[in-house]
Amino acid sequence: MSSEPIISLVNVTKKIGKATIIDDLTFDVPQGEIFGFLGPNGAGKTTTIRMIVGLMSITKGKILIKGKNIKSEFEQAIRHVGAIVESPEMYKYLTGYQNLVHYARMVEGVSKERIDEVVSLVKLENRIHDKVSKYSLGMRQRLGVAQALLHRPSLLILDEPTNGLDPAGIRELRDYLRHLTRTEGITVIVSSHLLSEMELMCDRVAILQRGKLINVMPIQQFIQGNDQSQSYLIQATPPEQALSVVRQIDGIQGVNLTQDGLLEVNADKELIPDILEELMKNHIRIYSVQLVSQSLEDRFLEITGVEQIG
Amino acid sequence: MVNLLQNENMKIYRRLRTWILVGLMVAFVILVNTMEWHFDGKKAMDDGWKVTVKQEIQQWNRALKQPNLPDENKKYYEQQIAVNNYHLEKDIRSTDGTMWDGINGSAGLMIVITIFTIIIVGDVVAGEFSSGTIKLLLIRPASRAKILLSKYISVLMFGILLLLVLFVVSIAINGILYGFKYIDLPLIKMNTEGEIVEKSMILNLWKTYMYNGVSTVIYVTMAFMISSAFRSSSMAIGFSIGALFAGNIVMELLQRFDWSKYVLFANIDLTQYLVGSRPFQEGMTFSFSVGVLVVYFLIFNVISWLIFTRRDVAA
Ligand SMILES: Nc1ncnc2c1ncn2[C@@H]1O[C@H](COP(=O)(O)OP(=O)(O)OP(=O)(O)O)[C@@H](O)[C@H]1O
Ligand SMILES: [Mg+2]
Repeated sequence: MSSEPIISLVNVTKKIGKATIIDDLTFDVPQGEIFGFLGPNGAGKTTTIRMIVGLMSITKGKILIKGKNIKSEFEQAIRHVGAIVESPEMYKYLTGYQNLVHYARMVEGVSKERIDEVVSLVKLENRIHDKVSKYSLGMRQRLGVAQALLHRPSLLILDEPTNGLDPAGIRELRDYLRHLTRTEGITVIVSSHLLSEMELMCDRVAILQRGKLINVMPIQQFIQGNDQSQSYLIQATPPEQALSVVRQIDGIQGVNLTQDGLLEVNADKELIPDILEELMKNHIRIYSVQLVSQSLEDRFLEITGVEQIG
Repeated sequence: MVNLLQNENMKIYRRLRTWILVGLMVAFVILVNTMEWHFDGKKAMDDGWKVTVKQEIQQWNRALKQPNLPDENKKYYEQQIAVNNYHLEKDIRSTDGTMWDGINGSAGLMIVITIFTIIIVGDVVAGEFSSGTIKLLLIRPASRAKILLSKYISVLMFGILLLLVLFVVSIAINGILYGFKYIDLPLIKMNTEGEIVEKSMILNLWKTYMYNGVSTVIYVTMAFMISSAFRSSSMAIGFSIGALFAGNIVMELLQRFDWSKYVLFANIDLTQYLVGSRPFQEGMTFSFSVGVLVVYFLIFNVISWLIFTRRDVAA
């Protein structure tokens, strides 16, 4: 893996009229990473993507794709990019295949075989010669992915790619993106507001809110939070006795009894075996121990705060 | 660039709408010529042409005797008399009652070409915005300027296709109605040195096409500009066709102002400089109008280009 980032945004700002829609974004995405844009509606995910692919001008700052400036070296920079921006609108009066031929003609080196290859990749073989007007939303999305992959881009940008896909389709897309990053070293940027999706797909996420970058962090860290201490649920009987035993252990940050009669313990991971040992010594029967991780939604709301859209 | 043009052509000709327009063009040419033949042409089909030619000579001779006849008109009548005499001497038919009568008359149908091409051009840029396809079109390694140019050329090519349809169908239908007998009839006219010459009828037909084609190109360029500036096909089509019909009326109101000769519609009809017509204002010349049209043409294209290559695509 080269250390040179595939794409870097440097102090990117977008103003429309007086409104600052994107405010001073700076981040890099290295090769082979699946990078997520996370943010509530109106956060500026689509706007950022539009600037990356050159659909919108950049008010301040610059965007480099493989070292090429999207503004001054548009053709060299965009060559490496395949993208879906919002929904993938195709020419409805053309067939799926004709649409792909259309885009294939706009880049060098896309053979007929390559077109067939991406068609089978997105599993559209049976319907590819139908008019796009007869496609379902999910089929159009698949065709959108196909056109984005046609020219073997180094950077794939997908704005809400799972929109309209069924669970099997989402899974396929996820597996395929993983496969692409592993085998071909392709870099992927996806935007979504579906947190669960990001969790399964991304290596790192950037959290965007009101056009500002709140944070960029690995997804694991995002899920678990920064503090090492976790909370655990312990099912033990009798619960009252268990509670008084655990209270006496050193290093426990907190313990209480839930309404269901479970013991909720806040403690460092390393302390768990000690807790269990102590309980057993006191002849308390232990049925289960469970790590409670905060839900992604809770975590997201914690980071962004419960705020109004926009 | 060739690839881009191929793409634009695919997007024009894979649509039913385009072929409906081509079909309508064929139908119009057949209909108009058949009616013309039915009400007018049938009578003149045999040797009656000599009578008509002689009648015309008498009429012009009478006109020449009018007092205070402007020099220009006098010259025009004299030319026509000489041409008609030549027809009689050499026993060369006038076009009256031959297929050429219909074919030459059909050149007037170029206004239909203008309208149909405006319909296509109005949608060519605006349609990509309204369908959202512009987003996928502009994220390829092709500059916006090239994409715009390929769109413009593809539309002009559609206009040329309609012109070929007009040419072929008008020859075919008039041949069928009047017979192909006089297909090689020459055009008799007086050249600038005052000699009577025989010219090719087909060449003359294409010259007429070109004169009329200038206005088609200008209207189409105007619609193209509106389509890329306002991203609204209905606006582009509505405004351009409106201008096509209202232009003359507006110019009549403006005629008394001296500056009105710089207005597009005062110059767009180059046939005003053909013999027997008067220019919009005293002192306007063919090259003046061509110059004005070139300026408008450039302005329209520069505006399309500036807006299309710079705008934020938020569709
Ligand atoms: N053309 C425009 N003119 C003015 N404001 C705009 C324009 N386009 C977008 N905005 C504003 O920019 C902000 C960001 O919009 P954007 O579409 O990038 O959000 P998003 O993160 O993609 O949201 P979503 O999850 O709803 O897709 C919004 O507040 C929106 O109102
Ligand atoms: Mg969006």
